[in-house]
Parts: sequence; structure tokens; C-alpha cells
Amino acid sequence: MINLAAKDISHSLSKFIITALGVGMLLGIVLIMIGVYRGMISDATTLIDDIGADIWVVQEDTLGPFAEPSRLHEDFKNTLRSVNGISQTSAVTFQNLQLPHPDGRTTRVFALGYDPLGKMIPLNQKRIIEGRGLLHDHYEIVVSKKTGFILNEKIPLGRDLYTVVGITEKTVSSGGDLLVYLSLKDAQKLQFLYSNARIRTDRARGFRGTDATMVNAIVATVKTGHTPEEVAANIRRWKHKGIFTNEGQKEILTGNLIKMASKQIGMFTAILLLVSVVIIAMIIYNMTVEKIKEIAVMKLIGIPNGLIIKMIVQETLLLGVLSFLSGVGFSHLIYTKFPKNVVLQPEDAVKLFAVILVASLLASLFGAKKAIDADPTSAIGG
Amino acid sequence: MKKEQGIKVENLVKHFGEGETRVDVIEGASFTVNKGELLALIAPSGAGKTTLLMMIGCVTEPNSGTIWLGEEKVYENGWLVKDTRSIRREKIGFIFQAPYLIPFLNVIENITLLPQSSGVSEKDTKAKAMELLTYLDIAEKAKMSGSKLSGGQNQRVAIARALANDPQIILADEPTAALDTKRSISVVQMLKKIAVEQGVAIIMVTHDETVLPYCDGIMEIVDKKVVMKDSAEDIRII
Repeated sequence: MINLAAKDISHSLSKFIITALGVGMLLGIVLIMIGVYRGMISDATTLIDDIGADIWVVQEDTLGPFAEPSRLHEDFKNTLRSVNGISQTSAVTFQNLQLPHPDGRTTRVFALGYDPLGKMIPLNQKRIIEGRGLLHDHYEIVVSKKTGFILNEKIPLGRDLYTVVGITEKTVSSGGDLLVYLSLKDAQKLQFLYSNARIRTDRARGFRGTDATMVNAIVATVKTGHTPEEVAANIRRWKHKGIFTNEGQKEILTGNLIKMASKQIGMFTAILLLVSVVIIAMIIYNMTVEKIKEIAVMKLIGIPNGLIIKMIVQETLLLGVLSFLSGVGFSHLIYTKFPKNVVLQPEDAVKLFAVILVASLLASLFGAKKAIDADPTSAIGG
Repeated sequence: MKKEQGIKVENLVKHFGEGETRVDVIEGASFTVNKGELLALIAPSGAGKTTLLMMIGCVTEPNSGTIWLGEEKVYENGWLVKDTRSIRREKIGFIFQAPYLIPFLNVIENITLLPQSSGVSEKDTKAKAMELLTYLDIAEKAKMSGSKLSGGQNQRVAIARALANDPQIILADEPTAALDTKRSISVVQMLKKIAVEQGVAIIMVTHDETVLPYCDGIMEIVDKKVVMKDSAEDIRII
């Protein structure tokens, strides 16, 4: 039996392919949008996963350093170590910085301060692609490759010059900013140490000392045989601090912080998907209208509706499949060019494929309806 | 020898609209076309030629009357068959003013599409199509696209398509309208030959007086009625 869809497509192959590529680019953007959402989720949890803590201790009545300002004394890490069930502790700071480039540009980064000589090292060694991690208490910095800095480059920050000792990849903050690592002492200095003039003024006003020994959170691991929940409950009761398990912190990040952003992206994705479906429907409708004379002739000479509808449905499905494939190709071609992390997952592509198949079938109904309604007598003059 | 009935129409009536907007097109048409005959149908533009053809072709439903295609009564104040398209597929061949070949199919595919949709095997339909193309003297064009053929060649392909399902009747709506006189006469002679050799009843709508002498009879729509003419003489088509 002659396959009308194959014959029609091969008759206007270039037009069909260009149409599929056009729709494919739209679907590629849909995939990218989903990838941006996945990237946000991934970014939000990458840092927490790298730190690898079981418990987060933060300022009382706050949600922790990622959601609200949190300050607590660094030495609480020593107190914490004495709590039953706690294995290791480490004080950490988090802050945004603008790294100045020699040409005057600045790059916004998220800086994690930790004790390089401590037992818990939040810098995942697998992420270092050049150089090394921090080894000293001062003037070293590990930067993300995307910042553009190179090994041994000097970066002026605050009152000091920092040397790039390591380059990492795929290190981003929950907000998607590139991550840099500083020693805890340097980070405290950058975050809490005021200028000399400010210190003098504060002294004149009666304030003594600085907050340079504050940190934003203390992370801890629990001993085998204890659960993070049990240890957290104990600390919460006696130490007047905010305590979160690792999962709790993740929940705050993914559930609270990026909730609105992900909703926003979800809306964009839904609208884009709807636009894609409408465009596919319009293309199929137009493809049918272009052939309406031939369809009328076919109906007049006695070709069954089933054969005509089969042609329309097959063309629509093929357009959907080809568009999807070109969309996947397009998204993989461009996703690395985006400044923030874009995570393309096969399961998202499979879901999109299912949506496109259903949408194509629905779109083909428009064409089929047009074909069924075509008046056979319109094939002739008279 | 008794002639076999190809098309028989009795008291066929067709009007469009109702009440004040009612337009009567055909009033009580009655005629018979036997197998092996080629009849011309003439009338001024808008007189209802195509409407009559479409009623016989089971495309447009009449308001009343009776239609036989061969020995089968297909209409009597209502369709007597459920699927009129299957009647067209099995009994009728259509030829139009323009060939209206399916542009994305080549010549042989245009001819084999209809019988294949009726379930005839690809091999048999191709053999039959080649036979028809040879009969119509365009066998060498079988694999070509219609757009590469001349108007006359395209019309022959359209005739081959109309014959592909071994129809009992052929309804031709101004098949020579787009052709010059020489080619028009050639096409009509071909239709006459088909009518005789294949025992097909053919009604051909035409505005072309030069082809009338090649027809077995002439029907004219006069004042919404179908009148049989004895000869082509003195006929002037407006």
C-alpha cells in the first residue's frame, strides 16, 4: 500500500525538515528551561552535599546561613564536640564577594570559609581540576574555573592579596554563584573585620573588640549509633541554637529559597510547551489546508477517510518525533553556553517526548477534522 | 442485441435552500445511458451540469427521484447504500476539467492509489496501471511526476486513474476544457474507445462544440430539465 505520508514528506522534504528544526529549537528551549530548574536544584544541594555534615548549628530562631543572617561564636564548635553523639565539628562562613580582575572587571562569587587544618573539609577534592586545596590559614584562595582566574594569580581582597592555589569545576552556591574557598580566618576577616577608622569610631562610642571570631554556622557529623535527629533534639533543648539536620537544610534551600524561582521557571516552561503545542497544531492544520484540494479529489474518487487521516496522523507524529530529536540536539549544543548550571536529564527528555507525542496526536485531530469536513465537490468547478 | 443499462435516472430533483431562498436546479431529470455509450451533457454555465453529475456520482444528495448505477438502485428518495464513497470507489471513475493528480505521487502511484485502497494487491494494481498507460500510449511516463508532463499527458493519466478500478461508469466534467481542439478531439475519441471496448457508460460535461460529433448522444439542460438531442447539429452552447 502506498504510504501517503512518506510520499508527501519526500515531495517537500526540505520544507518539512526546516519546520521540524524550527519547532525543535522551541522544544530545545523547553528542555533548557527544565534544565535550568534542575540546575537550580542541583546547585542548591551541591554545596551541602560537599560539606557532608549531619547537623547544622545556626543562630537561634533563624533558618541558617542560606536563608537568613546567622551568627554564632566560633568556639561553639568546641562546646559542640562535647555533646553526646557528636563526632566532628567545623565552623564555616558564607559570604558574597566581588573578585576584581586585573582589567577592572569583577566577578560575583560566593565564598565559603573553613578551617583548612580542621577534620572536616567542605571542599570536595574531586572538584579540584588544577592545583590543590587550602593548606594554610592565610592568603590562599581556591576558585571556580568559570571565574576566569588562573593558578598562582593574585587577587586583592580587603586589605590583602590572595594567591589562587586551586581551580575547581562544577562548584556553585545555592544561588548559582560561582564558589570560592577561603581559610576561615581570612573569611572572618573579610566578613567581620571593620576598617581601622570604623574600629576607632566604635572604640570612641564605647564598643570594644570586633566580631572577627564569629561564624555563620557550625557543621558537625554524628558518631555511628546515633541519628542526626536524636543528636539535634538534644542540642536544641540545651544549647539555645538553631539546629537542622542535613536534610532539613536541603529542604530549606529547595523548598523555601528556590521555590518562587522554580515556580517562575515552571510557568515559563508550561507556557513554552503550550506555545510549542499550538505551533505544531497550526503547522499540521496549515499542512492539511495546503492539501485540501488533493484531499477533496481523493474523497471524490472514493479514497476512504481512514487513509487520509492516517496520512495526517503519520505526518504529525513524524513532525513531533523529528522536532523532539532536533530539540534534544539543539539543547545539548547550547546548554554549556549558559552562565548558570543547566542540568539536562534523560528522564525529563522522555517526559517531554511523551507530552509531544500526545500533543502531536491532539494536533493531528485539527488536521483530520479539516480533512473530514472537506467538501468533495470543491475538487471540481461547475 | 439488448443494450445493458449503465446509468438510469428517473424524476431526479435537486434544489438548494428553502422558502424564499430556494433555488431549483434540476426538475425531474429522466434519462438512461447504456454501457458502451458516451453521452455529452451541455448547458450554459450555472445551469446545473456539475450538480447533476455529482448526484449521479453519489457525491451530492438529490431531493427526490431514483438513480440506478448498472443494475443497482443506489438512490430512491434517499441513499440506499450506507457508504456512498464505496460506490464511487467500486463503480465510478471521475475525470475532471483539470487532471488534479496528487502532486506528491508519481504517475503510476496516482493510478494505483484507488484500487490499492480497495484492497487490491500492489502487484496487481501496478500491472493494471501499466496496461492502462500502454493503452493510453504514455507507458514511458509511469515513474514521472505529473508536474513534468504536458496538459494532454496529464489528462491521459487522469483517464487512466478513472479506469484503474474497472468502473461501470465514468463521469467526466469538462475533461477537454484545458486542451486545444486537436487534443480535445483526441481525448474524446479515447473516451469513446474506452466506452466501447470496456463497456463503460460515460457522461461527459462539455462546453466544446467540436467534440459533440464524437459522442453517441447529447443531453442538454433546458429550463432545469434534461432534454435528449438527436444530433450535434444546430446546437450552440452559450
